[in-house]
Amino acid sequence: MNLKKWTGFVNNALWVLNPFLLLIAFFNEKLKLGVYLEWFGKMHPLFLHFPIVLGILIGIYYIVDKKGNVASNILHPILVGNAFLASIVAVLGIFLSKQDGYDDALIFAHQWGGIAIAMIGWALIYLQQYNQRFKSSYILRVEFAMVYLLVIIIFTHKGAQLTHGASVISFPQKEGTSENTQVIKVVTDSNATLYVRAVAPILQQKCVSCHGANKVKGELLLNTPENIQKGGKSGNILTADKDKEAMLFERIHLDITHKKHMPPDGKVQLTTEEVAILSRWIKAGGDFKIKMNELAKTDSLFLLANKYTPANNTKVEVKTGLPDLAEYNSNYCAVNYLYHGSDAIDVNFFQGSFYSRDVLKKLEDLQDQVVRLNMQGMPLTNEDVSIIGQFNNIENINLNYTNLDLKTLEPLKQLKKLKLLSICGLKFTESELTNFLKGSTIANINIWSSVIGKTQLEKIAARYPKTKFTIGDNLESQVLKINPPTIDQDSSIISKFLDVKMKHMLNGVTIRYTLNGVDPDSLTSPIYKNTLRLTRNTNLKIKVFKPGWISSDIIQRNFYKSEIRPDSIYLISSPDQKYLGDGARTLVDLELGGSNFTNKKWLGYKDTTMKFMVNFKQPRVLHQAFLNSLIDVGSYVFPIVSISVEGSNDGIRFAKITEAKFPYELTQKDVMKDIKTFTVDFPNNTSFKHYRFTVLNVKKLPVWHPGKGTTAWIFVDELFLN
Amino acid sequence: MNEFLEHGLNQNRRKFLSKMSLGLGGLALGSLMAPGLFNASNEDELFANVLPHFAPKAKRIIYLFQNGAPSQLDLFDYKPQLQKMHGEELPASIRNGQRLTGMTANQAKFPLAGTKFKFSQHGSNGAWFSETLPHLAKMADDMCIVKTIYTEAINHDPALTFFQTGSQVGNRPSMGSWISYGLGSENKNLPAFCVLLSKGKGNGQGVYSKLWNNGFLDSIHQGVQFSSGEEPVKYLTDPEFIKRGDKREILDEISALNQESYKEIGDPEIVTKIQQYELSYRMQMAVPEITSLQNEPESIVKMYGPECLVPGTYAANCLLARKLSENGVRFVQLYHQGWDTHGNLPAELEGQCKDIDQSSAALIQDLKQRGLLDETLVIWGGEFGRTNYCQGALTKDNYGRDHHPKCFTIWMAGGGVKPGVHGETDDFGYNINSLPVHVHDFHATIMHLMGVKHEEFTYKHLGRRYRLTDVAGNVINDLIS
Repeated sequence: MNLKKWTGFVNNALWVLNPFLLLIAFFNEKLKLGVYLEWFGKMHPLFLHFPIVLGILIGIYYIVDKKGNVASNILHPILVGNAFLASIVAVLGIFLSKQDGYDDALIFAHQWGGIAIAMIGWALIYLQQYNQRFKSSYILRVEFAMVYLLVIIIFTHKGAQLTHGASVISFPQKEGTSENTQVIKVVTDSNATLYVRAVAPILQQKCVSCHGANKVKGELLLNTPENIQKGGKSGNILTADKDKEAMLFERIHLDITHKKHMPPDGKVQLTTEEVAILSRWIKAGGDFKIKMNELAKTDSLFLLANKYTPANNTKVEVKTGLPDLAEYNSNYCAVNYLYHGSDAIDVNFFQGSFYSRDVLKKLEDLQDQVVRLNMQGMPLTNEDVSIIGQFNNIENINLNYTNLDLKTLEPLKQLKKLKLLSICGLKFTESELTNFLKGSTIANINIWSSVIGKTQLEKIAARYPKTKFTIGDNLESQVLKINPPTIDQDSSIISKFLDVKMKHMLNGVTIRYTLNGVDPDSLTSPIYKNTLRLTRNTNLKIKVFKPGWISSDIIQRNFYKSEIRPDSIYLISSPDQKYLGDGARTLVDLELGGSNFTNKKWLGYKDTTMKFMVNFKQPRVLHQAFLNSLIDVGSYVFPIVSISVEGSNDGIRFAKITEAKFPYELTQKDVMKDIKTFTVDFPNNTSFKHYRFTVLNVKKLPVWHPGKGTTAWIFVDELFLN
Repeated sequence: MNEFLEHGLNQNRRKFLSKMSLGLGGLALGSLMAPGLFNASNEDELFANVLPHFAPKAKRIIYLFQNGAPSQLDLFDYKPQLQKMHGEELPASIRNGQRLTGMTANQAKFPLAGTKFKFSQHGSNGAWFSETLPHLAKMADDMCIVKTIYTEAINHDPALTFFQTGSQVGNRPSMGSWISYGLGSENKNLPAFCVLLSKGKGNGQGVYSKLWNNGFLDSIHQGVQFSSGEEPVKYLTDPEFIKRGDKREILDEISALNQESYKEIGDPEIVTKIQQYELSYRMQMAVPEITSLQNEPESIVKMYGPECLVPGTYAANCLLARKLSENGVRFVQLYHQGWDTHGNLPAELEGQCKDIDQSSAALIQDLKQRGLLDETLVIWGGEFGRTNYCQGALTKDNYGRDHHPKCFTIWMAGGGVKPGVHGETDDFGYNINSLPVHVHDFHATIMHLMGVKHEEFTYKHLGRRYRLTDVAGNVINDLIS
């Protein structure tokens, strides 16, 4: 037979084949196949590539060839062959679809797509042969070819997805593996079921690719407990018959060469460990509900499952199977598991001013799990306590400094597992406490009362030897010295007036003060109320009194009235380069230097003697001058030795007015750091335009000082003239 | 700092690629075909979900760091032998070539100095306390005194850094930062890691913010230093004309702007900044409520001593530490400076002990009576110990001690530690006889108490996984109840 005869024969055969194809496609549901036809079905993947390649080539030909002048004796046999192969493959495909459980939606699209390809191929023969418009119009041919190619690409891809998985042409994730990395969730907490901990990960990793949502071979789904229990085409897979093992057990134990061995030869096999876990689980009844912590710790099933981790090509996501606590957490309530994998919950409330009962109410969902509850400082009522009373596994409750009444705590005595109750700072009487303790089985109680003393509480506690009490002392008997107050005023210079505030952190204190250098006493000295307004040079002394406390040390501070401001002032000798301050202005800027001499508010002198000039436009009477100076022995800063003042009215001839000497010797134990005021008193009727000040420093440091023999620093700030 | 430079510093290959992938079509396609191709690995973040590894004994830590190194020989480690041999030379067999600091290396003699203080035994375990610690001595039964901790560093800064970060070299995260990273904050209105500073009158060594630095961890984990003034956190009070609602609006707007610039620049510090603004907004409400002394009963003031009312003192910090801790702050770190007693030890030590004795004891007692001691780990100790020989001139009643890393004493309380006295040093208080506890072991043990397996708690940085305990450290079970 020659080509032409064959072509004719096949062309005629198509008139039988294609109606048959449509028939079995329409009545697919009712179709039943024998073993041989099933075997034929397996040829589908073998043959399908021929019509695809042919079809694509034909499509390309119609696009490339503008004139359409390939001889029909060449083109016709190709078109006929193509149509025939397409139809055959479609028929075989339908046979195959009967045999395996596949994703229905994919099957549907692939089947009808395949049939469409076969029909288009068939139609093409006649279009090419008889249709003049088709033969003459290139545009029409191209349009037709485009549709043909598109149909081929889309619907054969569906088939590829059936066999190779939905992601068949996705970019490979890792070199060397054609399959996507599976994400296997491994639940590690002891509360998880054995199924979730070990069985499901094995099935998901090794079985579900063929017995899952994408592919349902043998009508068996292994993706959920319900589906596993339902079994497959051959029935239940978990229960053993009298003389037959359970099917799942049997299949995984069959020799790998056996046709029914699972997973099939060529697929990733179960490890020995996985086989052991699955078979022991099946033997133990295939229970989906048994939890890891219900198995004996020496049970080999427990041991195997507990250390089970999926193989390398899987990504393990460690998760607990416990409820997510996110919805119970807020900024003012922290709800956490005690540790990873534990089902016991720890609850902490913070910031009483934001407390809301709804948050506690919501925890009723978790009432069996809460073991520790900290509600310290929350404004609670008996309604809150009745909610807490439902937390039947609770072990530790902290109710310190809540406003609760002991009587309202009765429901807590019903909590069988309660081991520790903290009720510090609650208000109660002795009889209320005795009533509460009656019939209480709480092992540990922490208690503290501002009213009832420690000894009294101990006496009551001694009557309940089964409970261990930790009793806080209210230290009534302890008499301590109270600390002095703080003065809330940075400035020490009074220009017109100065408001001074005082503060003490303790409630119920009395602050008394004097303004004249006399020590304050608890009877006659004025009591500080709101603000103290100072208008002249003041030596402020303050003392704090409080019943039950020893009164505080006296603190004192000097405030200086700066009455006379010079018209100008300049430095005759320059300070050390590092401590220039703001020049002469530093002395009269009404800002005191503070305790740190490097803050640019001090003038520092060491090797040069400090000299400065104070000028008035008109002669001015001076009674007194104060110089503030820093002492910091460790930093070689010593007190001023002497201040001498000369006066002049013409600025040329100066007459000595006075010299003040400060002759005390510092010893090692003296004040290390201080700010001290040095006073110069002027004789009566001193009145000049110009005043020249000379300030001397210590020239030789004493022998006990590390810098013995060298010159000391002086640091001077602020000059007050009165 | 130059923002572009900062951005550059925060840029790494992965972030660069993931940014580029949004700009380049080809890479975009690549990421479509393989979802997750450019995602950062989340293995590090996974830790946050699996911690604590097991049931923790301690939920929070208060670390009372005694900066400058207190003399164990004058406080806890009683050595009558030294008193007997007062003034005699330290036997070479005991020193055994141990390296010295630059301060005593040139000293011709190493005369042993017996303590000037009287010691007595307290508690059911007969722990020795010197007379300078009368209040702490009463808490002996709650204290786990470890006499045999040792370190590798011999000078303050490396030793401090070692204790705080597990490495003598800087730039590693502080203990508190590790805890913050691993366990997070219980109370979302406060930082997980707070730092409080105080200073005694003794010879002091500075503390630097690198000690509570987050190192390579996200900067949200760095320690928040509280001010020692009356307002522990500055500028929390809004000006009168700004209402809370206005503030919220301002923050929302700023946050939106920050989100924008994060999308543009991708600097992770921007995210941290947003979180920090939110935290400080909540802190505005939380901190005044928590730090207020108004709700404290008078007995508390008596217990800690009236000094606790003076902001910035150790006593005030102890009280504040208790308040922060009970409000869910994971790690409160105190530093008390002034323990560096090279000379004039008796006087300086007495002063320092006065600062810390009553308030440290009060902290234990206070936590205990509130039922919180069991879940709060209190740690007290310096960065190393002090020598048994005298630095400088030894007189009848005055002496100084140099740095000694080979053994010293710290104590812990609560949080699952076993009360008692642990470890023995030799008669000279120079070497360890039993139960040596290295700083790494100390860290490992603390991690264990917090429910963390120190060997599994790592952070990947510069291609290597780091842990607080570096590559060493064993949990010392003897210290755990």
